[in-house]
Amino acid sequence: MSDAAHRLLWTIVALLLVVGGVAALVVSFGLPSGADPGAPLLGAGLLDAWRLAAPWSTLAAAVAGVLVALAGQRLLARELRRPDQELRGTLSRPGRRPGRTRLATDVLAHALERDLTGNPGVRRARVVLTGAPPRPDVWIRVDLTADARTAGVREHVHAAVRRFATTAGCQPAHLDVTARIEPGRP
Amino acid sequence: MRTANRVASLLLAAALLAGGALLAVQALLVTLDQRAPLLARTGWYDALTGTRWSDPGVRAVAGGAVLLGLAVLAAQLRRWTPVRLSIDERDGWHLHRRCVERRLADAAATVPGVRQARVRVRRRGDQWRPRIRATGDPAARAEVEFAVRQELHRLAAPRTGRIEIRLLPQGRPA
Repeated sequence: MSDAAHRLLWTIVALLLVVGGVAALVVSFGLPSGADPGAPLLGAGLLDAWRLAAPWSTLAAAVAGVLVALAGQRLLARELRRPDQELRGTLSRPGRRPGRTRLATDVLAHALERDLTGNPGVRRARVVLTGAPPRPDVWIRVDLTADARTAGVREHVHAAVRRFATTAGCQPAHLDVTARIEPGRP
Repeated sequence: MRTANRVASLLLAAALLAGGALLAVQALLVTLDQRAPLLARTGWYDALTGTRWSDPGVRAVAGGAVLLGLAVLAAQLRRWTPVRLSIDERDGWHLHRRCVERRLADAAATVPGVRQARVRVRRRGDQWRPRIRATGDPAARAEVEFAVRQELHRLAAPRTGRIEIRLLPQGRPA
């Protein structure tokens, strides 16, 4: 899951905590008219209502449990997924008739990755293409060796992108490159 | 904060999965008239029906939830240090911040007598502002600055502003 998704999730959780806590405090101090601070947290009639509605009440609880467990399983699966597996580039453009053409970009991306790793300073490269086919957004991540010279690799990456634009016939609308350099004594 | 978010999300996911599965199993057992120890009328039901809204414990838990929620909210909404350092806005080239900091720390540690170097790089406009903390002879400051500037040049870093260097003699924490 991305950092933005985590921030959104925990902002929602925090808001729920604040709203729930404030609501409980308000009831506890008897601020809204009609609220009884002396009332128990759970009304004594709850068990009777639960038994009266059986088996639907227990089935509803079972369904709620399954939904909560499914939400947990989905969240866990997204957390444990490697970030590389989340990024799957797709080029997309609207058709003349209603509808949209989507194109997986694996072949194009792998071609650019192979070109990028042709430089001995680039140990690994990952390319994702998104946007519309004639002018896609190109996202590149390169892992550089400890002895790589950044300026040289920059030139190599831009040359590879130029070659890619010529052969694939699509000029990048937006280019974003992130380089990670291996640690090592200079 | 990013790591804390990931760990907290993992814990939340595990709690939802375990709690939801437990609730579903217990509710099904009750539906089938089997013994369900958690949903059967036990201590938790008596505690919740016997506790009143005005009890100090309820107020303490509610106040704690509000404070915790506000703390988490503040942590999520404040500006985080970006993961990447931009080298050139025009060509979209970035360096991973932690890699740069580690490289600069390694460069500082190549100076004889300098150890346990820690580096933080901040951006001010289009300038990088490295801040170096290390253990070593304060007289080696010029050599440390030279080594760090060499490494910045090697990384093709943009203009570098003043490099803040703090060398603490051995025996004092960096």
